[in-house]
Amino acid sequence: MKHSFIDQYSDLDSLIHRLDPRTKFIASLAFVMVLTPIRNCQAFAFYFGLIATLLIISRLPPLYVLKRSLLIFPFVLLIAIFIPFFKPGEVAGSYNIWLWQVSVTYDGLLVLANVVIKAWLCILSLILLSATTKFADLLRGLKQLGIPKVIILILSFMYRYIFVLVDEVMRMRRARDSRNFGGGRLRQLRTLGNMLGTLFIRSYERGERVYAAMLARGFDGEVRSLHQLNFKRIDAYFGVTFGLVLLSSGILFW
Amino acid sequence: MHIPDGFISAPVATVGCVVAAGCVAHAAKATNKKMGEKQIPLMGVLAAFIFAAQMLNFPIAGGTSGHFIGAALAAILLGPWAGVLIMTCVLVVQCLIFQDGGLFALGANIFNMGIVASFIGYYVHRGDASLFGGHRKRILGSGGLAAWLSVVIASIACAFELAISGIVPLGVALPAMAGVHALIGIGEGAITAAVLSFIMATRADLLEIQKA
Repeated sequence: MKHSFIDQYSDLDSLIHRLDPRTKFIASLAFVMVLTPIRNCQAFAFYFGLIATLLIISRLPPLYVLKRSLLIFPFVLLIAIFIPFFKPGEVAGSYNIWLWQVSVTYDGLLVLANVVIKAWLCILSLILLSATTKFADLLRGLKQLGIPKVIILILSFMYRYIFVLVDEVMRMRRARDSRNFGGGRLRQLRTLGNMLGTLFIRSYERGERVYAAMLARGFDGEVRSLHQLNFKRIDAYFGVTFGLVLLSSGILFW
Repeated sequence: MHIPDGFISAPVATVGCVVAAGCVAHAAKATNKKMGEKQIPLMGVLAAFIFAAQMLNFPIAGGTSGHFIGAALAAILLGPWAGVLIMTCVLVVQCLIFQDGGLFALGANIFNMGIVASFIGYYVHRGDASLFGGHRKRILGSGGLAAWLSVVIASIACAFELAISGIVPLGVALPAMAGVHALIGIGEGAITAAVLSFIMATRADLLEIQKA
């Protein structure tokens, strides 16, 4: 079945790919944190330049990055769409929607543009992180950064079974659609409820089987791996450079 | 309801991260004590289940559609702390892999959709069901109500975070968020009740997992 593969381009080779997942994670977090209080346009241009440079170094296909960043945009807009209507200020235009008279203000549009650009830049940085790092490596890095072991283990199981269950959902949906899904809204919800109930029971039983299979192979609550992360000299160089750039930009733009 | 980065101010996001980290650390300890190592593959698969279930859209009014969140269902079936853990993992994957919800804002998102939604869902269901007896219809009704409330109250928490960050005044954010999610919540409630009714009919023993 067709999936949008999670870490499709993590096998490429570039400076960014070779960095330690911990370095990349902390750098992304720092980028997002520095960006949060920013309000002026030059700053946005600067950070866009920064993230674009890194994206170019990473050799990710630009179209892929753009597509992925736009894919999530409807959700960003959904939460942002009512912002420009309610900021007091000079009115840019007013409309009648249904029964309400609403007006859009310049201040409101400015706030909207501000948060949407910030969100987009942060999404780009997260794409850079997730597309250049294998998910298993990222988890290993997070574990060493002190995220509880249970969470890491649950995440690594989740990562393995997402594909199986998404396939299952797709199959169920196709079965439903081919049997002429329709009728009233209540009926639709009922069908959905039955589908999810079935899916839950199947998942639960799968979880039990997986655990039994793991016990049979000697699982004792610890996952061991021969693969070790190592913090290399290049990580130190990158970390210091990136940190200095962020710090100086922060001083400049805050 | 996934808050992207840049929407909430740095102090709000920081507080969100600290609160979420504390709760998740406690949740990890609490479920570990209760279920032992057996929980790990189970919760991983169930987190994948919630993730997959969120892909099914249902129609709301006027051509829009919403999708299932699942915090209430997870909490009702597995207990509130396990619900928190599962939702945390779902949100982490959504953030890191699909960029749905921000990284710095992850704490706030975990707080809204993981912690608030799980606890509201669990205790409303529990309180209602134990107050009025364990009649089948009653359990389904309280499950639906719990799911509806979990969505609405999570959206109210989200509105407060946006308002404190100074993006929109509370007088606007609150009715807008709560209004939209009161609608979406109806679907969530109906589906949760339908799932519970299906599980009750086929494998009623699974409803007792968190009591064991």
